[in-house]
Amino acid sequence: MNKVFGLLVVLALLSSCTAVKEYEKEYINDPEMKLAAKTTERYDVTFQVYREAAAGANGGKTGGGCGCN
Amino acid sequence: MKKYSIVIAILISCFSFAQDKDSTATFKKRVLDATEVDYLISYYKQDGIHSAVSGGMGSEKLTDLASNIVVSMPLNADDILTVDVGISAYTSASSSNINPFNGSGASGGGGDDDKNVTEPYGTPWLASSGASAEDQLVSINANYSHSSDSRNFIWNADVSFSNEYDYTSIGFGGGIAKLFNEKNTELSLKANAYLDQWRPIYPTELHEYSKYGSNFLNTGYFAGVTVYDESANSSTSYLPSKFEPWQTVNRNSYSLSFSFSQILTKKLQASLFFDVLQQEGMLSTPYHRIYFADKPNYYIGQTQYIPVYETAENIGVYRLADDVERLPSTRFKIPIGIRFNYYVNETLKVRTYYRYYSDDWGITAHTANIEVPFKLSDQFTVYPMYRYYTQTASKYFAPFETHLSTEEYYTSDYDLSKFSSNQYGLGASYVDIFTKAHIWKFGLKNIDFRYNHYSRSDTLEADIASMAFKFIFQ
Repeated sequence: MNKVFGLLVVLALLSSCTAVKEYEKEYINDPEMKLAAKTTERYDVTFQVYREAAAGANGGKTGGGCGCN
Repeated sequence: MKKYSIVIAILISCFSFAQDKDSTATFKKRVLDATEVDYLISYYKQDGIHSAVSGGMGSEKLTDLASNIVVSMPLNADDILTVDVGISAYTSASSSNINPFNGSGASGGGGDDDKNVTEPYGTPWLASSGASAEDQLVSINANYSHSSDSRNFIWNADVSFSNEYDYTSIGFGGGIAKLFNEKNTELSLKANAYLDQWRPIYPTELHEYSKYGSNFLNTGYFAGVTVYDESANSSTSYLPSKFEPWQTVNRNSYSLSFSFSQILTKKLQASLFFDVLQQEGMLSTPYHRIYFADKPNYYIGQTQYIPVYETAENIGVYRLADDVERLPSTRFKIPIGIRFNYYVNETLKVRTYYRYYSDDWGITAHTANIEVPFKLSDQFTVYPMYRYYTQTASKYFAPFETHLSTEEYYTSDYDLSKFSSNQYGLGASYVDIFTKAHIWKFGLKNIDFRYNHYSRSDTLEADIASMAFKFIFQ
């Protein structure tokens, strides 16, 4: 837990340092660089939520539905 | 607590500082230029030997075919409405054994109480002809989002509904996102509530007990059916007296999700996710059987299979349950996840994800994921992927026939046991920015395919293949 918050502090400090300008975001804007799961990954996440105890913290759905089978 | 306060103070100061520097809102571009339609389809199959319906033992064979259509419509320059409609159809050996008895059936009533002249039989190792062998899940989700003129502030609201034979879910929520520091930093907050409702179905023998009381062996389904004890002698002593139907059938889930994204360099960006999840109500599954170690065993079916009951050689006898699983009515979960995406060069990128999870049922889990997109041409990309997952067991879990009837909470669902899993596969995507292929007025922009094999340390094996097509209205 402490490590995660340590990381948060580092990220926060970095956010106030240098900003990458819009015209410098060619690499960051590559579709493969999206900070989100891919469209087709939603089905993987669904079955993982059903077959495993852990869920959440992936920007996806956080509840609802049974998942009992 | 003091430490966390310092962290929050630093974050606020950073964002305030960063906000002052933001001067990117020079013109207003539409958030979404044209209507987009995503068509998704997925096929999943699994098999294992720890069916929760049969008390932690038996076939877990299951197939699921799911499909979704997601339509995103720009309502004006700032607002987008997204509607996601899905249907999922499954067949399950495990679920079929809610009523495991072939040639008969009383599970859940519903017109299948007709008795057959032959003695009923069943087995945890094969699917029965029970009506619960298959079901469909339909779902719909609508999301409305609004972006500010500067595109640095976004709010959204969503509603959702899903339904299957014995379960209905209604959800709603909303969130805000703020971009700072020349859109290098994004902070978002999301809240959701799901108000779900069970229409409980119980294992046949327990359903009959709850319906007819202590005389149930002479009435309804059991009238004329021979029950055997462990020595294969006929018996009238079976009495699942601990079983009581659930009185509370709602399951409510509340979540608060926080995320923080940051561009770290021209080639590296990261995102941190932190959720707080609270569940209340009927968190047990009403058809997960429990066999107590301190209760005698009773069977229906062909007695020659009693000695090999716990092996797949058993094709004709089913043990009668002592109760269904009982889990606490609350569960508090805390998952924390982080993503790092790195642009190595035009050909190669690295996408990574790690999650720590903990809940008050005693489960701690770690998830690590890596995906390496490799660009073959301007149009084709392949991406091998690997995921490792491990979890500790819930304090309420014990394997088949090891719980005691004196316990308050118990489950033999191996999804709550200690295990690790490996998932590996390959994806491929095709992009056509000129959308040359058309269906009516929609141009095909993107096709994405992925296949994964999943292997769990408790012998569960699964395969999943998914495909997505993205069309743009022209």
